[in-house]
Amino acid sequence: MNTLLPERLDRLAREYALGTLAGPARRRFERLLRQTPAAMLAVGAWQERLAGLASAVPAMQPGESVWRGLERRLFISSPRAAPAPARPLQWLWGLLSVRALGGALAGVFLCALLLRLQPGLIGMEPQRDALPESYVGLLTDAEGKPTVLASSKRHGKRMTVKLLQPVVIPAGSVAQLWALPKDGSAAFPVGVVPGSGSATVDLADTSEKLFFNVSRLAVSIEAAPAKTGDAPSGAFILSGHCVKLW
Amino acid sequence: MLTNEDLAALLARVALADRAAFEQVYRATCAHLLGVAFRILNNRERAEEVLQEAFMNVWHSAGGFNASVAGPMTWLINIVRNKAIDALRSGKTGRASTFALDDEALAVAADEAQQPQALLDQSLTKLKITGCMGELGASQRQALALAYYRGMAHAEIAEALGAPLGTAKAWVRRGLDKLKACLELAGVRQDPPT
Repeated sequence: MNTLLPERLDRLAREYALGTLAGPARRRFERLLRQTPAAMLAVGAWQERLAGLASAVPAMQPGESVWRGLERRLFISSPRAAPAPARPLQWLWGLLSVRALGGALAGVFLCALLLRLQPGLIGMEPQRDALPESYVGLLTDAEGKPTVLASSKRHGKRMTVKLLQPVVIPAGSVAQLWALPKDGSAAFPVGVVPGSGSATVDLADTSEKLFFNVSRLAVSIEAAPAKTGDAPSGAFILSGHCVKLW
Repeated sequence: MLTNEDLAALLARVALADRAAFEQVYRATCAHLLGVAFRILNNRERAEEVLQEAFMNVWHSAGGFNASVAGPMTWLINIVRNKAIDALRSGKTGRASTFALDDEALAVAADEAQQPQALLDQSLTKLKITGCMGELGASQRQALALAYYRGMAHAEIAEALGAPLGTAKAWVRRGLDKLKACLELAGVRQDPPT
């Protein structure tokens, strides 16, 4: 089933997309679909063709209970689905008011810690175990708690972002990551980070080009993802040093 | 009305657990998507259940949306149709043709303009391929319409149209082949959106 002739793949793809593929064959094809990019593309092409047939279907406004049910199932009964503290804004305002004090101190402390660890990593480990050449940022909150670990390979174009503790992002906003050049020139946007878990951020260029002269990373809450040339609209809720790991 | 680009950007934010973006996607698309589910299930309550299940999927798998495979609306329609077809075939809901209907479904049944064949004709007009698709026989068009709008499998289409199974399969196949050819002839973009 894994090596299908193109014609057979296309036949299954169109029957799946239309819905006429039924029963166990449908389930089998769904498994194949998850593993086979060619099958996914073939189904996608047929779905696009068929999507035009939905255009004349009359719209029907669902009852508000459908949305309320979604909110209940996704955001209340399952707190892990998304960070949902009871009073996110109060938490945020409290954070903003003390960040100037705690953030700077914590940042310096963690930076010193990281820099002390770094020579040990490179000098003492056998070469094959050495970490790849990377840029690493550890962002802390106002209380100095490590909150975001950002890392990207030196010549890579993707950044991995890991939340070490959840960040509250008010509804309708995003947590925007900024890079702050060491010469004090304007911060530039890097990408949007999630409120919890991990994410991969596609970079506009290689890390080396973007971060060579960057000394700090920071996160602010913005109404929408920032574009090139935008400036942070408010205070940073998280910040930390950006270091070269080699 | 959101453009496909807007919708794709919102889905990217949903993938990052942005609830506001999720609500925007829901508000912008729920009425159209409920219409699609309702055609298949012919029961508002079941269709709303399917819509809710579908949006549970959207929240959890928005990261899997890939604009290079299919457009955002296509992706959403597909989730809803698959859920509706699964619900239909799992026997949790009456077949469209058995008419265990609520008032709304009765109203639809009475409205000839909303029957599958009519929906197909209207869609083909919007796609500007009515003439080209007119070269198909009536049975082939009807088979395609029953499969797409009612979520019928081959055996059900055969039964509904009083034809042998092999014939029903051939009708659907020819309907799809013709649709592909007509769309290509009309220059409707077939490449995945960029």
